Amino acid sequence: MDEPRIGIRICDCKGLVSDHLDTARVEQAAGQLQGVVHLARTDHLCAPHQLAELEQSLRDVGVRRLLFAGCSARSSLKFPQQRLNAILQRLGIDKALLEVANLREQCAWLHKDREAATCKGMDQLRMAHARLIHDQACLSPAPLERRSLVIGGGPAGLQAARSLASAGLPVTLVEQASYLGGRLCQMGFLFQCESWQSYCRSECVGPVQAKDIVLDPGIQVLTRSQVLGLEKMDGNFQARIERGAAFVDPELCISCGRCADVCPESVPPDFAQGHGSRKAIDKDFERAVPDAFNIVDAACTRCGDCLPVCPSGAIDLQAKPHILEQRFGAVFLATGFEHHDLDEHPSYGQGSPNAVSSLEFERVMEGGVRRPSDGEEVERICFALCAGSRTRRNGVSYCSKTCCSVAIKQAERIVAANPMAEVIILYNGHIRTYERALEATYQHLENMGVEFVNGEIEEVEQLEDGRLRVNMALAEGQGELLEDADLEDAQLDDDELALDTDILVLSAPQVPRRAAAPLLQQLGVLADPHGFPMENQVRMFRPTESMVDRVYAVGASVGPKVIQQAVEQGSAGAMKALPLLLKGEKELGKHISQLDQERCIRCRTCMAVCPHGAIRMTEQGAVSDPAFCQSCGFCAAACPTHAAQLVNFTDQQILAQAAAAFGELPAGEPRILALLCYWCSYGGGDMAGVSGMEAPANFRSIRIRCSSSVNSGLIMQLLRMGVDGLLVSGCPEKNCHHAWGNYLSDRRIVLLRKLLDELGVAQQRLRFEYIGVPQGQKLVDTLAQMDEQLRALGPNPIPALQRSPTHV
Amino acid sequence: MSDKIKIAVNWASACGGCDVSLLDIEARILDLVAVADVVYWPVAMDFKRSDLAAYGPGEIDIGFFNGAVRTSEQEEDACLLRERCKLLVAYGACAAFGGIPGLANLFQRRDILDRVYRDTPSTENPEDLRPAERCSVDCGELQLPAFHPAVKALHQVVPVDLTIPGCPPTPEVIDDALAAVFAYAEGAAPPPSGTVLASEKALCDDCPRADTRSGTRVPTLKRPHQVLADPERCFLDQGLLCGGLVTRGGCGARCIGVNMPCRGCFGPLPQLYDPAGEALSAIGSIAAQPHEDQLPPHKRLAAVRSARDLSGTFYRFTLPSAPIWRAVDDGS
Repeated sequence: MDEPRIGIRICDCKGLVSDHLDTARVEQAAGQLQGVVHLARTDHLCAPHQLAELEQSLRDVGVRRLLFAGCSARSSLKFPQQRLNAILQRLGIDKALLEVANLREQCAWLHKDREAATCKGMDQLRMAHARLIHDQACLSPAPLERRSLVIGGGPAGLQAARSLASAGLPVTLVEQASYLGGRLCQMGFLFQCESWQSYCRSECVGPVQAKDIVLDPGIQVLTRSQVLGLEKMDGNFQARIERGAAFVDPELCISCGRCADVCPESVPPDFAQGHGSRKAIDKDFERAVPDAFNIVDAACTRCGDCLPVCPSGAIDLQAKPHILEQRFGAVFLATGFEHHDLDEHPSYGQGSPNAVSSLEFERVMEGGVRRPSDGEEVERICFALCAGSRTRRNGVSYCSKTCCSVAIKQAERIVAANPMAEVIILYNGHIRTYERALEATYQHLENMGVEFVNGEIEEVEQLEDGRLRVNMALAEGQGELLEDADLEDAQLDDDELALDTDILVLSAPQVPRRAAAPLLQQLGVLADPHGFPMENQVRMFRPTESMVDRVYAVGASVGPKVIQQAVEQGSAGAMKALPLLLKGEKELGKHISQLDQERCIRCRTCMAVCPHGAIRMTEQGAVSDPAFCQSCGFCAAACPTHAAQLVNFTDQQILAQAAAAFGELPAGEPRILALLCYWCSYGGGDMAGVSGMEAPANFRSIRIRCSSSVNSGLIMQLLRMGVDGLLVSGCPEKNCHHAWGNYLSDRRIVLLRKLLDELGVAQQRLRFEYIGVPQGQKLVDTLAQMDEQLRALGPNPIPALQRSPTHV
Repeated sequence: MSDKIKIAVNWASACGGCDVSLLDIEARILDLVAVADVVYWPVAMDFKRSDLAAYGPGEIDIGFFNGAVRTSEQEEDACLLRERCKLLVAYGACAAFGGIPGLANLFQRRDILDRVYRDTPSTENPEDLRPAERCSVDCGELQLPAFHPAVKALHQVVPVDLTIPGCPPTPEVIDDALAAVFAYAEGAAPPPSGTVLASEKALCDDCPRADTRSGTRVPTLKRPHQVLADPERCFLDQGLLCGGLVTRGGCGARCIGVNMPCRGCFGPLPQLYDPAGEALSAIGSIAAQPHEDQLPPHKRLAAVRSARDLSGTFYRFTLPSAPIWRAVDDGS
């Protein structure tokens, strides 16, 4: 290694540090350290002139690494990270060659005894130095493809594609249907937005959106196509796409319709949810974009009648699908939703053509509301809300949040267009029309005399005349209300209602498309138990970001959405991707996983724990892709052979820090080492100091990556080195930044404590806790309790064992 | 005097399987005696310790020591063999790492004696006697070797040149050892001191089931007697604790071949801090139900809480060589 040439700058923070601990002594201790070429104390480093002076000093002596001792890099609201980075950059020092010793929050402010705080400050500075001396420059940036893959041509996917293309970035859009627009096209009336009480027609706005995409030279539109496989490769995504056979050349087709006129074969179009029909060569609907006819392969008999009538020779009945291989820098999952399959619910009247999903009902309404079974006039329409949602049996547990509003919208349309039809809305417990416009529509409908019946549907019978009889258990008090309502053909018996209806519209919940599941699996994207991709933590600030870098889940693919929300997500996802794609490379962080294939034993444990899909298996062993690594360190902790290591967070660095941790601690004091996770628990330690709490001064902290970044073998080594008590602390439950690191660590510590117990070592020496940033008190209490227990136990007996002779 | 090399074999705290494994080389033993005189092998030939002591320092070429060291007599044997031999070989898991007898280190010396001479159901000892190192009987004074506080591997008693692991060493490893002996007899240099005749990589790396490892979680942990293991799939994938993660390969995966998880007799991989620590780090990482965010804490930890006898599983053959090589009395 080159000469380290370390610069150390200690900040008094205008007394906020130096009033509580003796920074002069810390400076003295720093002077003893290896490789220090610049050492000074300052009183207010974040003042611009002091930063300028720092820069000049570092330049004058040719510093190559910097150690700052002062406030916490995690929690100080003034820690000048960006300015320090800028200084380092100007000096040609890699940003990874900076370490911070926390003298303020976790020394000066956390311990009342000046002497003890000073001792700890000296030790924490030595620990930072021990780490710094082994730090290495960040890995080179990973080159990224500028092209994005958008999977799904619904509102979210179109918006994402458009946003990317408008920034000059190339896009490939893959849509399984023959037209763009997705579910939007299937719905006649669209909420203008959640807060504006009016509607748009999809045949108006749909083609406008879609046409912009199709005609954009930056967007390659592949309709009737599907992604067969996705693989991460060298920081990018390698996709295998099947492009549907181009039976009709969209460039030549003028959509005159003569082919459809002569085509003898009819088929129900996917678009119409089983209602209506189209020809084997046709468009799914008039305003479908791309504006070209297409052939439903399974329905076409290749009779050839269409060939002679086509004026532009656009038809090729022998066309074949073909496979495209393309690389992408980002993937947008805009795969949309499907309705929960109600086949599992025998009680909703499935099988009857008159029990329709809300999407089907959109098409029924477009045809003029008639009974689907026989086209008869409709006297009554019932909407069954929560058909398969908010239930523990046969459905999903969540509220699909769109259905109440959709049903209200549809009911309003019926009331307006078919005043003779009676509309009844059957709901379970609550109507959830959130937002101003949707709630207003609900109230409007109530005023119009639409009946709302609260209860649980028990069974739906099919009557001989085609009608459906809905049997429901009414909510308390509903029976009395209904007695006044005078519902025709209704049998009311206490709390039981039987109601006959011509059409039953089932508000089944939105669930992820089944076709999306293999994509998630191939990408290594974690999903929740319902199959929706999980958002990356901190979720509220990272909408659309999946747990895998540059995989954005937008629209209904990530949870039930109305169209405006889906569009918002398309924009948001694109905006997240833009900076990276425009730059064409990804700068890598300080801590990146690297796998030594010489030591890898192909056990795949790292793959099981990586929450970011960054590791893949090769013939030579496991490989971590740095462009996908999110620096959690799970692979290093899970690897039984230490083949996986995090750059700048190596075993060697942790051990070196631990070896330097207790130099100033008086003999006989329990040595407590707290391994605190990067975001939560370390912040908890800082906040304890900020809030004026007091912790035992004999603990030293290491800011580890996730709580799950330290291998149990390494913990054994720390105990062997004479640490008397070890606390590992991670984020509170459900808050880990890496999905499950806190749980992983919890489990490992349970196992290790068992082992220690079998070996006679007191379990109080090792502990795991879930501690969040505002839980400084919990950290302080935990440390105080450990301190007390460890004093009662006496010194760690393990180091004494090592004095037995060994002759290897 | 013959120009053959001289070899000696000694048996300490062990089951005898190591000696049998040497006899099991069958006709090749003739090749061995063609190049080597066996000058000491109490279990197979009629030698006394005085025969060994009669040699001067370094006069014997190779000493094979099998078994762990628990008694003063075994320690003396180890020192004697070390002194008399140019090369000392730790033969078998007991000599190499402490072996099965080393599991006694989970208990204190007094507890072992109490158990054996007082507590076992078959013990009849109304006077509560314990063995003494010296006792007088009618015909004079009797001596017994001292029973040391703990079991040690050979390398913890004397320096060791070559380690041949296994319980017992496998025919393939013995072949490697014989090849080294033959080469030495021909004048070649012995393997460098510290050599272990096993793979530098873990058994997992050349496990015949390696490709069945799915890289996913295992919802429950089981012990071999609780299930009929699938004969094709990775044991860990089946929730069975397997030592293959942290144990040196080179054994030919014989246990795996008879559908038994690796028990660890080839000893820990080099460069580990603590084989049980590393193994538990990997296992703690994967032993859980999915979607733990949705689970109450007791269910999140159910799999690892059900794990039993971790020291007996991961130190089965190696406890005396482990970082915590004997149970401590830690304020409990």
